[in-house]
Amino acid sequence: MLNPVFLPTTILFAGALLELVLAGMLSRAAKGWLAFLAATLALVAVLAMMPAVIRGEILTATWFDWDAGIPLSYHIDGLGILFMLLGTGMGSAILLYSVGYMEHEAEGVTRFYVLMLLFIGGFVVLVCAANLLMAYFAWELIGLCSYFLVGFWYKQQAAADGSRKVLIITHLAGYGLLAAIMLLYIRTGTFLWTDPAVAGAFSSGIALLMIVAAMAKSVMYPLHTWIPEAMNAPTPVSALLHSACYVKAGVFLIARMYSIGPWHAALGNVLLVIGCLTMLIGAVFAMAQTDLKRLLAFSTVSQLGYIVTGLALGTNLGIAAGLFYAASHALFKGTLFMCAGAIQHATGTRDIRELGGLSARMPVTTRVWLVAAAAIIGVPLTNGFVAKWLLFDAALEAGQAVVVVVAWAVSIITTFYFFKATLSVFYGMPAHDPRLEKIHEVGPSMQFGLGITGALCVVFGIAPQLVMQPVIEPAVRALGFDWQVQATWLGVVTGSGSIGVTAGAAAVVVFAALFGAGAYRLVRAPVAAHAVAVFSGGENLPEGDTLGAADFAEMAEEAFAPVYALDPDRLYFPIWGEIRDGASRVRSVATAWLERQPVRTALVSAAVLFAAVSLL
Amino acid sequence: MDLIFAGTFAVLALGIGLYAVSVPQGGRAWWRLAVAIVALVIAGELTGDSWIGTILLDLAELAGVGLVWSHATKEAAAAARTYLYSILPAIACTLIALALMGEGGTRPGPFVESLVVGLVIIGFALKLGLIPFYFWLPAVAGAAPPMTTALIVSVVDIATFAELAAMRQNSPWIFTDHAAVWMAIALLSMFGGALLALAQTELKRMLAFSTIADLGFLLVGLIAGGTAGMEGAWIGALSHALSKVILFGAVGLAEARIGCTVTLDTSGLAARLPLASAAFIVGALSFIGVPPGFGFAGYWRIYVAATQFGGPVLIAALLAAAGLDLLCYARAIHRTWLGPARVTVAGAPGWLAPGVLSVLAVTAVLLGCYPSVLTGAVGPSLLAMAR
Repeated sequence: MLNPVFLPTTILFAGALLELVLAGMLSRAAKGWLAFLAATLALVAVLAMMPAVIRGEILTATWFDWDAGIPLSYHIDGLGILFMLLGTGMGSAILLYSVGYMEHEAEGVTRFYVLMLLFIGGFVVLVCAANLLMAYFAWELIGLCSYFLVGFWYKQQAAADGSRKVLIITHLAGYGLLAAIMLLYIRTGTFLWTDPAVAGAFSSGIALLMIVAAMAKSVMYPLHTWIPEAMNAPTPVSALLHSACYVKAGVFLIARMYSIGPWHAALGNVLLVIGCLTMLIGAVFAMAQTDLKRLLAFSTVSQLGYIVTGLALGTNLGIAAGLFYAASHALFKGTLFMCAGAIQHATGTRDIRELGGLSARMPVTTRVWLVAAAAIIGVPLTNGFVAKWLLFDAALEAGQAVVVVVAWAVSIITTFYFFKATLSVFYGMPAHDPRLEKIHEVGPSMQFGLGITGALCVVFGIAPQLVMQPVIEPAVRALGFDWQVQATWLGVVTGSGSIGVTAGAAAVVVFAALFGAGAYRLVRAPVAAHAVAVFSGGENLPEGDTLGAADFAEMAEEAFAPVYALDPDRLYFPIWGEIRDGASRVRSVATAWLERQPVRTALVSAAVLFAAVSLL
Repeated sequence: MDLIFAGTFAVLALGIGLYAVSVPQGGRAWWRLAVAIVALVIAGELTGDSWIGTILLDLAELAGVGLVWSHATKEAAAAARTYLYSILPAIACTLIALALMGEGGTRPGPFVESLVVGLVIIGFALKLGLIPFYFWLPAVAGAAPPMTTALIVSVVDIATFAELAAMRQNSPWIFTDHAAVWMAIALLSMFGGALLALAQTELKRMLAFSTIADLGFLLVGLIAGGTAGMEGAWIGALSHALSKVILFGAVGLAEARIGCTVTLDTSGLAARLPLASAAFIVGALSFIGVPPGFGFAGYWRIYVAATQFGGPVLIAALLAAAGLDLLCYARAIHRTWLGPARVTVAGAPGWLAPGVLSVLAVTAVLLGCYPSVLTGAVGPSLLAMAR
């Protein structure tokens, strides 16, 4: 009989198989419902394992030999359950949303759902695997699923190019993980990371190799550049990539390294620098975007910087902050992407310069977006606030004041670009595009999908204890850290604050909002007749023209020009050019020296070989 | 092992045959020679490690020359001549080496040993097309129809590689005492093949050079030896055979439908030939060892063996070469198969050839997802051979 720990994986893969078998019989919507059902059943199976994990048990089981002598073994602890919940939970919400989103897709719907289920299933295998080789297998399986999903519209050049970039950057970096696994195996004779011998062999070099792999998956600077190009995928794919099943794989690996073996403190510092740099650069790049999904993509880069920074602190509070931030990010980023998808679905564009005034036509999407945007900014009463608070507190406790300053500055930048996006898309004057006249709210399944995750952002902001105690605490303990967080209504109780922080911060936000509204009214009144709503910094704009929030993108580009020069793609192009030129040079030499004179080449080579064999 | 290889060759031959019914590869002469090749190779495998087996495989090589020659074009004739001029000295080298070693592959005296090892290296490098003795392979790939090349690469070459692997088992001193020379050939083939593949614009030639690169990988498995190295080489060879039939088959199908050579400028074939495109992508990813393709089952063993043999430097070298292969195949996939369609296809879409490719591609994935079906049998077979 099948061990229940394998149920989530089995259900997801069986769902994918059913999609294939029943492809000819099911309608597009039915395929969507089938996928949703599979993901939801997998979620239920994960939830059924939670009581044991909360009690501190580790669920282990071996199913069959995947390869000769390589068993498919699971080791499910608190960390595994947390990420399984993210994968299956967010996966369920996104698949529910997909039912409406994919309903009008002309072709490839079966392919889409099969890949989505394999994607989630692969992620579940990754976070459960006790065998590192199986973990690498799952690591690459989700890599391939994302490659095919990003290239879903493969007849479009942009989608094809985006998927190529995903494949190359993430797969090449994944060789770091493979090399680390090989080195561990040679030193210990086992692929099981749970074997105590592995901890003794886990050197800094091996940890660094794993970090490189994690950086590409988790869009750490400078290996993040694939993610904006991946935005040409269907939005459910983007949501799944960003919220749960892809970028979180790298986060999982970094977290899991704590339970594999001890790391050198210097590595933590390296990771801290990378985390801070990533959050800063991601945010600055996000400011300059006018494509809504690209803006969200860069915001993912920035937010992943927060998460990795928390984990890199390596303290009880830091790990708790990193993991809670990862869970919170899954919720608010998944929600934001689903909102962006709803907007694109309804309007046919995601260029924020072409959008405006959608709040009247898409009220549900607008409200949910506002909640999720508030969460990512860190507004009190949302899970994002709790996550940031915990992170700041952890950094202060670890004596890393610089981290707090950087994170605080990035929060301000995040606020800026989310205001830009929110105002441009949902408020202000609607763009003069006849297509926008016919816009209406998206269908119920899409609303429900994004509504669930949006609501959870508030629920876990008001009552973080609902997720802290049953989910985050076992995960933190699984990594060998102590639980130091007391969660209660409206926030967490730590050494430097309690509910008062939430109340105070909420008051500040309310005051700031009132102040802003008052100032806006005061400024707006005298110039309303001239239709110049924003001070342009000099000469008045021509009569009837206005500055929109999106126009700040150009200002940001100018102001932060030196940062944009740090785009690592500028480095990758010459590397590719050198490889290509090198290949051409090798070809020229081979043609001129080897292929045109085969007899001479063969004789000379034979002579050299005989000499080498005799001498060596 | 011989039975596993014989079975694999039979299945691949059946696939190639069905494919050739749908996409003609040549006239009667082609069919006769193709059947002869398959029969000789299977007989050679079943005969085991003996003189007769070697001679049967050599005859298969010569039949391969005839197969190329059967395409009555100037280019094919020139390629066949190059192939013949490579194969004849190769056969001579290996037969002389075997004669010097005597029955049982016993180790001769120091001078003769150097001669034997030199002859073995040259003989097999010429037969397999390893760098710097690779002249015939790109010539054949460029001039012959794709399935002709597939038959030579996937059946004749892999049978030859199996012969070399058997030699590694029976006379390990040929490798262990001259590992540096073998490793130089392997690395040269891995990197040279990958870079030369990257420099090609025509897909068939690219596939030929990538064959050389992959044989370099497999050779590392043999040099490193041990359980992981030998299993990796054997399983990798099986995966190589399967993938190359898929890859050449997909390109051949595309060429048959668009009526010209497939190059990197042939964009968007997937829109016109989705099954062939899917097969090519699966074959390519499996070939370069990306999970869940079957190739990974061989590759991870070779990585283990390489790490044991050469430490972090060798594993880094192997991964760097694998990275070059990835760049090469990703470019081929994205410039030829994906993107907006810029080609038109002629003729009615038959189902047989795409069907064969699909079955083989699904097999590559299934074997990758559950390789112990096959690898479970490889270990005991190798033990039996070692005994």
